[in-house]
Amino acid sequence: MRKFVKNYLSYTVIGSLAIILTIMGAIGALPGTTLALLEQSAIAIVLAVSLNMVVGFLGELSLGHAGFMCIGAYVGGKLAVLLSSSLGGTNILTVILALIIGGLAAGLCGFIVGLPALRLRGDYLAIVTLAFGEIVKNIIENSEFFGSHTGLRTPDFTTNRSMRFMLFTIGAVVVLLTIFVIQNVIKSKHGRAITAIRDNEIAARATGINVTKYKLMGFVVSAVFAGLAGVLYSYSVQSIQAVTFDYNYSIEILVIVVLGGMTVNGSIISAVLITALNNILQTKLGGNIAVAKDLIYALVLILLVIYRNAPSLKTFREKYNLGNLWIKLIKPKNDPSKVGEDAVRWDVVPTKISMDEVLSTDVIIDTTGDNSADIGERGGNK
Amino acid sequence: MKIRVLALILSIVLCLGMVGMIASCGKTNYAENNTKIKIGASGPLTGGAAMYGIAVKNSAQLAVDEINAKGGLNGIMFELVMLDDKHDANNISTNYASLYEGGMQVSLGTVTTKPGLEFKGYANADNVFFLTPSATGDDIPEFANGYQMCFADSDQGTASANVFNKDYKGKKVGIFFKADDDYSVGIKNNFVKALDASFGTPVMASFTDATASSFTQQVSELKDCDVIFMPIYYDPAALFMKQGNGTVKADAIYYGCDGLDGIDAVDGFDIKSITQGVSYLSHFNSNTTEGAAKTYIDAYKAKYNDAPLNQFGAAAYDCVYAIYDAMKYATEKNGAEITVTIAPEDLCDILKSVFDSKDFQFRGITGAPEEDGKSIITWTDANGNATNGHVNKAPVSYTVKEVTSAQ
Amino acid sequence: MKFLETLINGFSIGGIYAMIALGYTMVYGIAKMLNFAHGDIIMVGAYVIILFLPINPVVSIIAAIVLCALLGITIEKIAYKPLRGASPLAVLITAIGVSYLLQSLAQIIFGPNPKSNNLFEKLFPKFLESHRGGIIAIGSFNIKLSTIITLACVALVMIGLTLFVKRTKIGRAMVAVSEDKGAAQLMGINVNKIIMITFAIGSALAALASTLMMLDGQTVNFTMGSLPGIKAFTAAVIGGIGSIPGAMLGGIVLGLIECFAQMAGLGDYAVAIEFSILIIVLLVKPTGILGKKRREKV
Repeated sequence: MRKFVKNYLSYTVIGSLAIILTIMGAIGALPGTTLALLEQSAIAIVLAVSLNMVVGFLGELSLGHAGFMCIGAYVGGKLAVLLSSSLGGTNILTVILALIIGGLAAGLCGFIVGLPALRLRGDYLAIVTLAFGEIVKNIIENSEFFGSHTGLRTPDFTTNRSMRFMLFTIGAVVVLLTIFVIQNVIKSKHGRAITAIRDNEIAARATGINVTKYKLMGFVVSAVFAGLAGVLYSYSVQSIQAVTFDYNYSIEILVIVVLGGMTVNGSIISAVLITALNNILQTKLGGNIAVAKDLIYALVLILLVIYRNAPSLKTFREKYNLGNLWIKLIKPKNDPSKVGEDAVRWDVVPTKISMDEVLSTDVIIDTTGDNSADIGERGGNK
Repeated sequence: MKIRVLALILSIVLCLGMVGMIASCGKTNYAENNTKIKIGASGPLTGGAAMYGIAVKNSAQLAVDEINAKGGLNGIMFELVMLDDKHDANNISTNYASLYEGGMQVSLGTVTTKPGLEFKGYANADNVFFLTPSATGDDIPEFANGYQMCFADSDQGTASANVFNKDYKGKKVGIFFKADDDYSVGIKNNFVKALDASFGTPVMASFTDATASSFTQQVSELKDCDVIFMPIYYDPAALFMKQGNGTVKADAIYYGCDGLDGIDAVDGFDIKSITQGVSYLSHFNSNTTEGAAKTYIDAYKAKYNDAPLNQFGAAAYDCVYAIYDAMKYATEKNGAEITVTIAPEDLCDILKSVFDSKDFQFRGITGAPEEDGKSIITWTDANGNATNGHVNKAPVSYTVKEVTSAQ
Repeated sequence: MKFLETLINGFSIGGIYAMIALGYTMVYGIAKMLNFAHGDIIMVGAYVIILFLPINPVVSIIAAIVLCALLGITIEKIAYKPLRGASPLAVLITAIGVSYLLQSLAQIIFGPNPKSNNLFEKLFPKFLESHRGGIIAIGSFNIKLSTIITLACVALVMIGLTLFVKRTKIGRAMVAVSEDKGAAQLMGINVNKIIMITFAIGSALAALASTLMMLDGQTVNFTMGSLPGIKAFTAAVIGGIGSIPGAMLGGIVLGLIECFAQMAGLGDYAVAIEFSILIIVLLVKPTGILGKKRREKV
């Protein structure tokens, strides 16, 4: 509960937004463009926050996140189809069942993909995750059970005006659940173990952390929520098509996570902003100038990443940083939770650390003066 | 500090909510400020399928400009709004909402099938009429407000099989298809179903996006066939023919569907350099030299130079004219009142009744031309019953190239 | 017979993958980055060849190699160099951005129409007169001249690269940079220059790969590069990233898998089979077939 209160801000903001938007959606006050944007944002948030678990906190590159989403979408969607004659496809009970089964199915796949992760590292693991996503896509595409190439027709909320707000409520619940669970996993001792593995696997092992368990845990948690995003997706479209979940989609999610600075809050903000940017470009640049939108997107991507990450721009960045301003606004100084999400600075964490620091893993060595020392709470940061 | 920020955010959100609630109420006619009748469409303008979407955009624009130049519909002008969906169904919820709320009154649906499967549901919910130029999926006209200008996949497969049953009896048949494309697989399945049993099992070879860079192996698989059925688009077909030259039987025949249209216009591919014959069953031939189709091709080339020119575009050109003709028919024959701010659902009902009636015959450039150079296109069957949006026109079997004797 | 034919086909496709993977692995091995834009440099090379083809086929190939090398250097200078020392993920994302950028620029400049090419016909007009389709018949089975050229090219490039890396001063500097940038700098190696040269070589190899693809008949369009890029990544990993012979081996293995899957009637599942084999290989040998094992130290 204490941890919940600590982060009450993001929950209250998202929660109250969701409630108001749901009411507005229910009485039909929101135009379809906004509805589409909100639905896509919700899915993007869940995907980004869950991918961040692997990329930001476990420190492994995953290029197959869309594969987990695919599993969730197809399993949940198929379940909803099977139940539509008895329970009703858009019945709340069906939705909950679909979410649970879809999430579990994806989690199981996360476990399977997590196994090679025990042996492989870095780019070798990245290609395995990419391979997993493509294998899933390829098999589902050829499976009659899942509707093969024409796609699987699933029950949806979107074409029913009076029901569309339901998608919102479900989406908001899933988003909040994702943030809540992942925040708490990260801030628990499991989370510290996971970040310790990221910073130095051998050192973490030496301090008695069960690397196998925590790596698998990271992958499974991440996959479960990607599966939930998939189920959410299956309810937001009329038919799901395997071709959607290709590696390009995984890369899009990765882009969101990296631009968000690999923190939970950053992922949320960047998921909304990138989705909105894409939406605006797509609807404003139609017809003859459609080709300009890819160009703009690409330029924004390159410039943003260089601006945010280039070592030579560091002083400039610190002087005029919108992100810092934002953090100052939303997070008061000396908030210990800021230290827990040091993924934002994992690039400056040296990979080779001396044994002394490993052994004193439970003590924060405060070098910046910015963070309060919080003994016994965080580990393996410096 | 925390509390203050929180309170601020909450109050802003609440205010927004209140404003939104007040602003709502009642169903709005988004077209009420239109100064032209808006035709909305979604198609791939970027990405791998861009050449199809761009052909549709250009041709529909050409038709709109021609109609406007002639004075429109009793003075009412038309306007085309086309958004890019990258051939990805995910973009449809945004595109559709943006088009609808931007005042779209009638639609060309989507260019390709997969996004079209999303589009039809939204259009059905709002009762927006759409006539798609090239989304060939059998399910596209599922609802009462959806119509196709192109032949559906099943029709193409069956019609091609009938040609084989008649013309290629006793020959060894091979099929080359794209395994991750619903268009290709749909036609192939119906083709195999309708193919005469005397042919035996056709030799199959397939490719996917992931294996599309070279067809050497597929050529080897199919090299002993006399007739190779290719329900694919022209660019991979050109690669297959190029790589098959010299390996595939010199007197073999490549037979395709409407996707093969444009094969003889692929830049840098000299179709005369291969010995095999090339034919296809389609509703349009973009190299035709006669009839109304020729007029269209000349006008297109004059306006857009080297832009993609294929049957997608021709169908889109027909779509705009069909919608225009139907509106004209409705005002003249049925006494319907069409204003520039007509609500989409009202226009939909008017158009549906016209398209479903056997008296409405559209004269277009796709399909087999009659004596006056234009084809007869209806959305009713021979008995005059509505076909649920499936088009009824005569396909043409075009021979791009006869077999040339081996050197 | 069928087996032999499939084998040849596998080598022909695999040779092309191998060539792409060689360029990919060069950049990866030294700059330690997944260059997602590598495939798009192939696409640029293909368009350059198309542009210069009317002048002279040989000139067009040379122009493609030179321009691609310059493009590689430019991209490295603008998009990657500012991020040296930053998180590898940041570089990955800019590489993706560069890939989008090149694709949309290509669509704007060259239009969406696919372009076929007659590079082979222009290079070997005499040969084609006597051999229809560029096919040489040896006894009862046929082999394409383009296949022979591809394999010869890949073998030559592989040997050349190995010698270059092992025997020349720049090559050994490359090895040093790939081992430890900081130490190399201290030893007086100009790391920036070495990485620039690496990108130039990698991109020139991409241009060579596009030449081979076009000799094989490949249709050119602005999305033609994205898939070979992923294939090259896969091939490079199967063979062991950073290993030059490994890249060649990986590419050929990929080509063989694809062709034999097709022969077995499993063409629809080619991707699943390919990637399953990749995963199995990696599980058995986590650093790829010819990859070097690195001891991890605390």
